[in-house]
Amino acid sequence: MSVNAVRIMWRVTRLNFRAQLEYRTEFLMMIAIGAVWQVSVIVFATVLLSRFAGMGGWDSSDVLLIPATRMLAHGLFVLVLGRVHGLGRHIQEGIIDTCLVRPMPVHRQLQLAYFPTNAIGDLTVAAGLMAGAVSRSHLDWTAGRVAYLIAAVLGGMLLEAALFTAVACASLRFPAADYWGRWLEELLGTFGSYPLNVLPRAVGGLLTYGLPLAFVAYFPAAVLTGHGHDTGVPYWPAALSPLLGVVAYLAARLLWRRGLRHYAGVNG
Amino acid sequence: MAVLHAWRAARVTPLGELHTPPRITAALLRLTVQVVLVASLWRGLYAHTGSTAGLGRDQAVTYAVLAVLASRLRELDQFTGRDTVIQHMHFGTIVYWYLRPLSPGRYYALRALGEQLYGLAWALVGYAACLAAGVVRPPGSAAVAGVFALSLLLGQWVLYYVMLVLDQLCFWTLRNNAAMMILIFAQNLLSGVYAPLWFFPDWFVTLSAFLPFQATLSVPLSLYIGRIPLSDAAGALALQAAWVLALALFTRFLWRRAALRVISQGG
Repeated sequence: MSVNAVRIMWRVTRLNFRAQLEYRTEFLMMIAIGAVWQVSVIVFATVLLSRFAGMGGWDSSDVLLIPATRMLAHGLFVLVLGRVHGLGRHIQEGIIDTCLVRPMPVHRQLQLAYFPTNAIGDLTVAAGLMAGAVSRSHLDWTAGRVAYLIAAVLGGMLLEAALFTAVACASLRFPAADYWGRWLEELLGTFGSYPLNVLPRAVGGLLTYGLPLAFVAYFPAAVLTGHGHDTGVPYWPAALSPLLGVVAYLAARLLWRRGLRHYAGVNG
Repeated sequence: MAVLHAWRAARVTPLGELHTPPRITAALLRLTVQVVLVASLWRGLYAHTGSTAGLGRDQAVTYAVLAVLASRLRELDQFTGRDTVIQHMHFGTIVYWYLRPLSPGRYYALRALGEQLYGLAWALVGYAACLAAGVVRPPGSAAVAGVFALSLLLGQWVLYYVMLVLDQLCFWTLRNNAAMMILIFAQNLLSGVYAPLWFFPDWFVTLSAFLPFQATLSVPLSLYIGRIPLSDAAGALALQAAWVLALALFTRFLWRRAALRVISQGG
């Protein structure tokens, strides 16, 4: 990416941010919704932890590391790559067709479509939860552990981006596939925040091999907290979760290129 | 003739769904997976606990699965049909709602009725399947079933008005995305979709008692599983009815005020 492209992206992002400020109440409410949405995850996790001690054999401070990792990864995804979510609506309104005739890559145009104000709230709460989870943790936070945690957050962001990009690719052909994106968001939010070994083995397997939700936060947190051998999968695949995010995202972008080449708008 | 017009308006969204088989298949798959996941989660959580917050394992599983099924009652993608208030505001077509022989309020109500009846068909089929599979327990008695049905009706009525208020907000703010997301969050948290309200601290339960959300889902489901005994049902139903009345009057007032704000482009 050239320096000029980065400069354009920065200017567009600044303009988008100012555009969001046009509706002040909506702007503040979007920040609030990002925050309260994440708070709901914390409330749910806290209620479950207080009512059901020793969730899946995990200490409560260890469990907190799962929603913290997932929420931080999710917040970064919303901020940086989240506009692929809900692509079906852009297709329905013919926005993609306009993007195709402009000189900037379509994917980049999509990401620059608007500023995701809710990410501010998402990331604020996620950072707070991560700080709380790390401070309550009994682990010795060596440089290696911190580096792995950072890699896990980035890997989780890329994995989530890969999943939503795959749904966006399907939307290019079937705009109704957007429906699956909303379900995916719901699944990640509901089942991505606690140890999956609390579920029956078949259901846990579904959320590992069917939908790689376990790789977003559960496996990295398990490796960090010493539960890496009790996850139901071999240790090394679980430990390499951040790398899976990178590989999955690259594959999703290839799929996107292919999907875009075969995209046919309303007028053929 | 009026009934025929009402029927035609009410069936618009369900017909849209029925003409899109992939959406129906997707809805079926999503509902099935969600029920299996939620039932598995609560069974797993209760694996080492007999009873907590006055709820046993079967009660908690039944509550959680019924909450998933009830969420089908208003989950149609109106956005695809381009007939949401915010879309009409965006495209400047809300004025057409005021040019028809049918009032906007009645048209909105009929569309919502059709959607909720379509959602109810899904929920009933899901309920029958869950009951046959032993995932949920049947109601304690015929009286409990009757009170639950009445309470669910009132709850959906309250939910309809709450959603309507949010849509009416567009007449003043043009956008309601953030407000809608906050509402969905509040609805899920305060009506007990995330977890039964009985699990939350006392202050939280007291706070939610002053809001309409628990009337939408928590009350009917608590009646079903027996957490609210039949002896207390009258009070719970009266509170739901009071919310229906209050919100009906409020939304009627808002419809009148909204009409004053609608102008067609060009004056």
